Amino acid sequence: MGGSIASVLAWRLAALTAVTVTLGWVVGGMLWWLLGLAVFTIVYFVVSIQTLEQWLRTGKRRSAATGTGVFAPIYSDIIQLKQRARRRKKRFHRLLREVRESTGAMHDGGVILNADLEIIWLNEAAGRLLALDVARDQGQHITNLVRYPAFVAYLERQQYAEKLQMPGPTRGTHLSVQLIPYGNEQKLLIVQDVTRQVRLENMRRDFVANASHELRSPLTVVGGYLEGLADDRELPGAWQEPVVEMQRQVRRMNSIVHDLITLSRLEAAEREAGDDPVDVPAMLGLLQREALTRATRPQHIELQVDDDVLVSGEEQELHSVFSNLLNNALRFTPEEGHVACRWWHDDTGAHFSIADTGIGIPEELIPRITERFFRVDSGRAREVGGTGLGLAIVKHALLRHGGQLEIVSAPGHGSTFTCHFPLERSLFRKVAQTSSA
Amino acid sequence: MDAADLSQHISKRFNEELERLRNGVLSMGGLVESQLESAVQAVVVGDSELGLRVARDDYKVNRMEVTIDEACSRILATRQPAASDLRLIVAIIKTITDLERIGDEAEKIGFLASRLASMERPSDRYRELKTLGDHVQLMVHNSLDAFARLDAKAALATVKLDDQVDDEYDSITRQCITFMMEDPRTISRVMNVTWVARALERIGDHAKNICEYVIYMVHGKDVRHTDSEAIEREVIKGGKP
Repeated sequence: MGGSIASVLAWRLAALTAVTVTLGWVVGGMLWWLLGLAVFTIVYFVVSIQTLEQWLRTGKRRSAATGTGVFAPIYSDIIQLKQRARRRKKRFHRLLREVRESTGAMHDGGVILNADLEIIWLNEAAGRLLALDVARDQGQHITNLVRYPAFVAYLERQQYAEKLQMPGPTRGTHLSVQLIPYGNEQKLLIVQDVTRQVRLENMRRDFVANASHELRSPLTVVGGYLEGLADDRELPGAWQEPVVEMQRQVRRMNSIVHDLITLSRLEAAEREAGDDPVDVPAMLGLLQREALTRATRPQHIELQVDDDVLVSGEEQELHSVFSNLLNNALRFTPEEGHVACRWWHDDTGAHFSIADTGIGIPEELIPRITERFFRVDSGRAREVGGTGLGLAIVKHALLRHGGQLEIVSAPGHGSTFTCHFPLERSLFRKVAQTSSA
Repeated sequence: MDAADLSQHISKRFNEELERLRNGVLSMGGLVESQLESAVQAVVVGDSELGLRVARDDYKVNRMEVTIDEACSRILATRQPAASDLRLIVAIIKTITDLERIGDEAEKIGFLASRLASMERPSDRYRELKTLGDHVQLMVHNSLDAFARLDAKAALATVKLDDQVDDEYDSITRQCITFMMEDPRTISRVMNVTWVARALERIGDHAKNICEYVIYMVHGKDVRHTDSEAIEREVIKGGKP
């Protein structure tokens, strides 16, 4: 046997028909014989189909009537199909159990949300971290139970590239949450406990702030005495040069301490920068005039400013952004070089760029340039002054204004630093004024 | 067929409206919670800027109350809800009033914090106020959770917390009176402390009210102005109808 049902059926029918026709020929009454064959075939099929249907419906694993004759292959096919489905089901069950168990054992919380931000599923860690009830809270809107305003705003913002840090429902805990959209409008909320990190970070910040404050007063005393010594006419000639050098170093330490304090204040400020209108064009004009009075400076310091564009933020912080960038450009550009500042706006917000023809930064070091005390060429940088904290301050101050720093540079050809301010922080002067150079 | 589709559509829209309303109440609750937390923080740490910010931000709470109130009136007028829907709307209208009052008390605490920050700080650094503040914050948090989960049992447990808050308030008041008798120079500072404690105690009462609305919403029984045993009977009896 073997082959498809159709061929088996065809052979059997042909054989039966041949037998019937022979019988009809020999015995006579051909039509009756043929009719009998037809009735037999129909009855046989009806009965067989009914047994099959019954067997399928009762869903018994194996039936005594596994079918004989032509229907046997169908039975065995169905049995095979069923077995395969059963095996697959078992595998899925095992997989699902493993996934459940492993996510349950995870330290990070996971919450699956649907398009309406209703909870579909959560693991135990999420329940513990967010004070949710794993059994009861399914179907609840997540913001009904996690009501912290910054979290609600984060969900509404529809931009989930960044993580959000927020206090947890249990006193003194800190959580870091991120929403990951996937598949059919579903979202996965990842919750991490960052209490320890936040505490360590706070300790570090406090230490830097306190240490810089403590360093301030001894430095003032030393500086004061050195000033007195420098003015002293009776100072032996051999000491004059060292005293001047000491004064220079004290001044440098002072500016490092000052920058450290600025930086730790910027870091400690949890809230975003304020929203006072800041007259950036006037500020840039002033900075340019200051730069022009320097004894050694690049030949050309250009300023191209859109006078109608302002930024809402904190004046002092923005001032340190622009002055640090300008000072860097002046410091690393030779006297025959060129520094060009631009202040303009477009659809995405306000922008400040400063391009120099200085020494440039090797490309692989650009990502590290805003780190504290990072120097491209340590010997040279110390020679030209600077604290090594300027760009770190720029970065933090910009972050507080929702801005970004973009750096393009080629060694030997110069660098361009661009600050991008978002549209919601850009202001425009109501009355258009005639721009003055 | 068409009519059936339409009615289902309307009720779905109605459900969505109710759900949005509930979300609104709870996000207002979240704002109030964080206002309260900042206010207590401002007192305990002595951060006058934070205190003033709380006072300045109270307008946000008020604005949300007005918005939700309008939405409630609109639903009452257009949908004419009945039974549990009506109870939900009524409970929401009352809840947002209490939330708004909690916001006002937080504003007051913020003001007092900025005033206290400029005065001499006591050696215990307002530990009692912090404990009371923590309890009250827990009450507000739990009452809003009970509201979200429609959990009458949790609401009942929160109502019971109020006795503890009242006790703590009493002990702070007694302590303040002792301070003032001992050293009249501290009177102006201690008066401010008393007001902060008073505001916190009032917030506890408002949280208790919200819990009572939750019980009303779930069981349809008004349990205001009854003692906690009566409430308990009501909740347990209602739990298995």
